[in-house]
Amino acid sequence: MNFLDNQAAPIRENRLGVGVAFGGTCREARRAASQGCLNQARRSFSQTHGCEFTLSLAITSTFRNAVIVMHGPIGCGSCVIASAGGAKGYRRLRDPAAEGLIWLNTNLGENDVVGGGEDKLARAILHADRKFRPEIIVVPVSCVPALVGDDVDTLLHGLQAEVGAKLVPVHCPGFRSKVMATAYDDVYHGLLKTLVRKNDDQSNEKILNDELQEMRRRYIAGRTVNILNVSSMARADELELERLLRVLDLRTRFLPCYSESLEFRESLESALNVSVCGTHDDYFLEHLKSLFGIPFMIDTIPIGPRNTGRWLLGVADRFGLSDRARRLIDAEETILEEAIVPYREFFQGKKAFLSGGEVRIVATAELLRYLGLEIVGFKGHHFDHFSEPAFEELPGLEGTVFLVGTQQPFEQVNLIQRLKPDVFVGHTGSNNISARQGIPILPLFGNSHAYMGYAGVFEVARNLRRVMLNGSFNHLLAEHCPLPYRKSWYEKDPFSYIVDH
Amino acid sequence: MNDFIDRPRFTCALGGALFTLRALKGVVPIIHAGSGCGYNLYLATNAGAGYLGGGCCGGAGWSSSNVLEEDIVFGGEDRLREQIKSTIDLMESELYVVVSGCSVEMIGDDIVSVAAEAAQKGYPVLAVPTPGFAGDSFTGYDLILAGLFKGYLAKGLAKRPEVVNLWGLVPGQDVFYKGNLREIKRLLSRLGIKANTFFGEGETLADLKEAGRAGLNLVLSDVYGQAAAKVFEETHGTPYLTLAPPVGALQSRAFLAAISEALGLGEDLVSRVVSEEEERYFDYLGRVADIYNDVDLQRYALVIGDANYAPAVTRFLADELGHIPALSMVTDQLGEEQRLRVAGRFQGFASGLAPAVRFDPHASSFRTYLQEIHPPDQNQRYYDGLGPAFMVGSVLERDLAAERGWPLMIMSFPATNRVVFQESRMGYDGGLNMAAELFSLLVSGR
Repeated sequence: MNFLDNQAAPIRENRLGVGVAFGGTCREARRAASQGCLNQARRSFSQTHGCEFTLSLAITSTFRNAVIVMHGPIGCGSCVIASAGGAKGYRRLRDPAAEGLIWLNTNLGENDVVGGGEDKLARAILHADRKFRPEIIVVPVSCVPALVGDDVDTLLHGLQAEVGAKLVPVHCPGFRSKVMATAYDDVYHGLLKTLVRKNDDQSNEKILNDELQEMRRRYIAGRTVNILNVSSMARADELELERLLRVLDLRTRFLPCYSESLEFRESLESALNVSVCGTHDDYFLEHLKSLFGIPFMIDTIPIGPRNTGRWLLGVADRFGLSDRARRLIDAEETILEEAIVPYREFFQGKKAFLSGGEVRIVATAELLRYLGLEIVGFKGHHFDHFSEPAFEELPGLEGTVFLVGTQQPFEQVNLIQRLKPDVFVGHTGSNNISARQGIPILPLFGNSHAYMGYAGVFEVARNLRRVMLNGSFNHLLAEHCPLPYRKSWYEKDPFSYIVDH
Repeated sequence: MNDFIDRPRFTCALGGALFTLRALKGVVPIIHAGSGCGYNLYLATNAGAGYLGGGCCGGAGWSSSNVLEEDIVFGGEDRLREQIKSTIDLMESELYVVVSGCSVEMIGDDIVSVAAEAAQKGYPVLAVPTPGFAGDSFTGYDLILAGLFKGYLAKGLAKRPEVVNLWGLVPGQDVFYKGNLREIKRLLSRLGIKANTFFGEGETLADLKEAGRAGLNLVLSDVYGQAAAKVFEETHGTPYLTLAPPVGALQSRAFLAAISEALGLGEDLVSRVVSEEEERYFDYLGRVADIYNDVDLQRYALVIGDANYAPAVTRFLADELGHIPALSMVTDQLGEEQRLRVAGRFQGFASGLAPAVRFDPHASSFRTYLQEIHPPDQNQRYYDGLGPAFMVGSVLERDLAAERGWPLMIMSFPATNRVVFQESRMGYDGGLNMAAELFSLLVSGR
């Protein structure tokens, strides 16, 4: 794969045939995806959800020693207000001296819609470079400059010599793709073009060719895996994955979230790139393979004991460490099982509905079933082949409802009304809506809760039991904070507004 | 010309419009824009306004046409027609208001005509163009109000002189808007005035429909709501009066006197109301006389806020609580005339103090101005430092406050580190709330 000669990454509906509108069963969704007939459908009623621009910030707003210069009208990217307050604390889990999030917006107005915003962007970048001296300046490009025709790449290329920071364009106008996750490709496209470079400083090589040093470097690189983290992971998740791989004598480096410039350069010193979630990083890993020859693994997400074991074995296998990994898995599963037994009684017979990224919800279903819950339905942001490995670890759910929709809470409430789950495990955004149906909610992810690996299973068990112990708050919401849909909607087919053209 | 901004404290016109609509009970907005506009603006304003929530629809529940590249190329009006129809089909509402984002306005979609088609069929649908490039949240507030004044309000109603409409507090951008409206309404009712606040407790859309009955529009801002009040005057013949938003007892007294003069109410009534309110007010404020004077709770004050809050709060801190305002920064994008008006509000403090005032939307500028007004310690033998002090501002001030060891009271957007319900910052109650919170910060280590 190499799309780097293009200005922007291809959109996912074209590259992967991703669908965002489908209602049926898990079996039907998988069949439709495998036959490539998912991505034509759309909705005649739709609700707002993240776009490429907003989601590109999920990754780029975590970079350390970086400033974001958002190129667009003043509202674009204002969503970072919601996360900026906590940004410093999460960065400091990586680097105790890290600073908080700094962003600028080029504040395009009526005049710029006519005349273009390149001058403003140039001045904003120069200001950001001089005022804050960052290592990286990320420039996400919104709808307006894309429609006006601002030539951001040429501008950044020209400015690069004048600034200390590396300039990273991210072409992510919100009208481009119906698949929000195209944002990840947009970010990686920019990173691949600017930050991920072989260290080509060979000036010292002839004088200081230290063979021992070189062997040491290769030795370390040969035992280092890059783990492609996602912004929805907690630091505790990273530490758990690091712990498990350390048992196999593998070193870990986490990219791209909460990374700084140096880590991107060093990322090529690695024996294997390991995906945590194919939805996030296939574009990056395919490119790293074709450009630099680094092999990669995209399989399941290490959530739930079976998925974690499968993920670990997948990594270990590449290093010929399968036997050691199996022993590790056996030991971990034994201890975990002992810890979980007391929780099973509590969860037995309870029904759960899952909502969020397709790979993550299917893997989390495996975790919940392990705890003794029954899975009554899914709502996935989109659908493609990346959930297949997680589905393989989840037999017996072929007939379970699977709704494909990014947010779209109107369909969610209809399904919840029918399926009557005891708990809702969901992505931020639509949780408040099903909270008003009176159900206890566990967030599908969070920066302060652990979900991954074996430790994650136990943490989810603890937290899930806790939220189910007292649902009074949401019960009251259901009584007093009504939802806006007509009563007749709940009697209609939840998929009525999905149309095929 | 509006330039780039380092960490802006507002969103765009669409954001201001959406949260103004969110504050109106009985309205369902329909967003004609890309998928991300509504959700992005919901995330920003929910958290920034002290966790205001997405209202009846819920942020992710806002109806949105989610236009894509093909709509941009071929026009998005058909998609909007379909979305209006399906929204009415699904969601019950007294009024549906179509608002637009940048992309559809750039390609020339005529949302007003498309909405008019639905209205002709008898559906309560109205459209107001609100592209983000038209301005910031405050502009969006004015745009949506002007749209409602022109398109929704009943025309030709007989005026009732005792009815006043209240404007100028922007829902969401004013984190305490609902509490403030309640308190202002309470004060006006004490003068026998029926105030419509539209976004406050217990207000209905019917009140908005009949807003043309008011004898006066009262705009509690030198900036926000001004453009809309002009449109109101043109459309419904109602004059408007601009008064500073009152914070605390002294400003409330001046406010009540001014409104009473404008409406020709008796002086006795105002005097009685003021003296009753002040008796209650100073009974509370007097409680801290002991601790204030026993441990010296006077401080230097650093204030960062919008055109409404920065001058009013600076004056309150100086003239009522007896602090020394050192530097105040107004963070809005203002035209020259607006800037002069707001600058005037920092003059004539009863305490005789005149703080340094700067107009600047950049978050990082405050440090620069601090150095200007108070040169840093040059390691001289005796240095008159800027302390003890406290800051009043937003969560964006937290790092600086922590560095200097200054307590920070959260007053302005974004306020992601606190939850705001019914609390006010204006009127007598608002002054007491603010004084209690500020003094609580100063005694928090005791």
